[in-house]
Amino acid sequence: MKRAFDFLARQLGDAVFSVLPRLAYAPAEKSGCGGLAVSAAALAASARPDGPLAFRAATFEIPCGCRTALIGPNGSGKSTLLRVLAGLTVPRSGQVLVAGEPPRLGRRRVAYLAQRPHLAENFPLRLRRLVQMGTYAHHGWFEECHHGDQDVDAALARLGLTELADRPVHTLSGGQLQRGLIARAVVQGAEVLLLDEPYAALDQASREIIDRFLFEQGEAFTVVMATHDPADLGRFDRILELRDGAVVTRHACSGHDHRHA
Amino acid sequence: MLEILTEPLSEPFFVRALAAVALSGATCACLGAYVVLRRMAFVSTALTHSILPGVVGALLLGVSPYLGALAAALLTAAGAAWLASRKGTSEDSAVGVMLSVMFAAGVALMQQANSWRDFAGLLFGSVVSVGKDDLLVIGGTATIVLFGLRALHKELELASFDEEYASLLGARPALMRVVLLVLVALGSVACVRLVGALLTTALFVIPAATGVLLGRTVPQVMAWGVGCALVGGGAGLYLSYYLPSVPSGAGIVLCCTLPYLAARLLAPRR
Repeated sequence: MKRAFDFLARQLGDAVFSVLPRLAYAPAEKSGCGGLAVSAAALAASARPDGPLAFRAATFEIPCGCRTALIGPNGSGKSTLLRVLAGLTVPRSGQVLVAGEPPRLGRRRVAYLAQRPHLAENFPLRLRRLVQMGTYAHHGWFEECHHGDQDVDAALARLGLTELADRPVHTLSGGQLQRGLIARAVVQGAEVLLLDEPYAALDQASREIIDRFLFEQGEAFTVVMATHDPADLGRFDRILELRDGAVVTRHACSGHDHRHA
Repeated sequence: MLEILTEPLSEPFFVRALAAVALSGATCACLGAYVVLRRMAFVSTALTHSILPGVVGALLLGVSPYLGALAAALLTAAGAAWLASRKGTSEDSAVGVMLSVMFAAGVALMQQANSWRDFAGLLFGSVVSVGKDDLLVIGGTATIVLFGLRALHKELELASFDEEYASLLGARPALMRVVLLVLVALGSVACVRLVGALLTTALFVIPAATGVLLGRTVPQVMAWGVGCALVGGGAGLYLSYYLPSVPSGAGIVLCCTLPYLAARLLAPRR
């Protein structure tokens, strides 16, 4: 009875879309990035439009596939730099390319996870639907995506969330939610992951799962992670330090370059 | 016992009112899910209250009251958005300013028209007032609103849950907010005959608040809300039929509150 009702509701609901055009959320992206995931020259930006500059002369490159740590004291501009790369903050001056294009909103190839995501509290949403939101980038306006998406199931499994798929989002722990948000970025098809202190206040189990996912599975994506943890840094291919408004590259990427040669 | 239910059905005006309450109740309950989840109850109150000057002004000018109501609601939404875009005014106080200004304008216009009694139905709703034309308008707005909610469901849900991710995908959360306000304006216009300008906001808030207690996904919240609005709306009309001193708006709102209280007391703690 319920199944028949669901089927009818879906048919009726989807009929709406048959009279509407399909529109992409944003212009299509160029493919390829010439081996560089991020390149910045003399980049300056501030956290707020009328605020002081967080950094003045950031010049650096991040090759594709490189796991990069972004370090620096509080207020050194790590978060602002990530938001600039994500297209959320417009830089004051300088040039920057992320995956071959200047940053803007509506880019499928770039994903950003805020340190504290502003999610609506007590929102009636299951984890599977949250992860599914990553696929909206492929669908665009006037199309619905339904259950049973293989990419969503695969991403849930890779982050150890299969059993939690039908749990309401507001009942998840911070670590489970963080894994869900990473799964969403995977489903989106992002090639550059911008992560702002993803390990802050995570339980050990979630931390290990995210670690394994980012560092051990030989993924074809570039990671740029703001981090505070000095014990961690050995695992990264490259370390960028924000100091006195500039970026100092500590050691260069080597191990992963061959995959994109 | 059964006669209590069937007797009013022999009156054509009552059947029209039932159809109107079903259509507008279902519409407002679905829209209300977003109103409640996005904490927009105050904005929706402002939009529904501003119908008053719209309708009175339209009557004075001799144009369709529905057009006046819609224009006034949209003016309120635009005015609040404009005020809030200036530095130093929070959105909350911008909405408060527009709400009081529009309502005061309505009261002033009513004095101008010099017949407070005629407007009681406008404020609190009237069960006998739904004509065939009204039913057409209500059906039309219900169709537009439900179509819009369905067509933009995933974007509205995304923008309500995670606004920043919606911007990152290019799904235009600011535009979705505007769309939602326009739909709320349309929905409140559809209710004004039955529920009245002062009480329409309850149809957005109470059924959806019931739905939020019981539903675990946005469509479930909407479904429970529609159920609450249909039961409460129907019961309210019967109440107003048998106790003519109770305006239909008051009856509908009071009867919608019962399922809300039941859900509040019985729903598992989330």
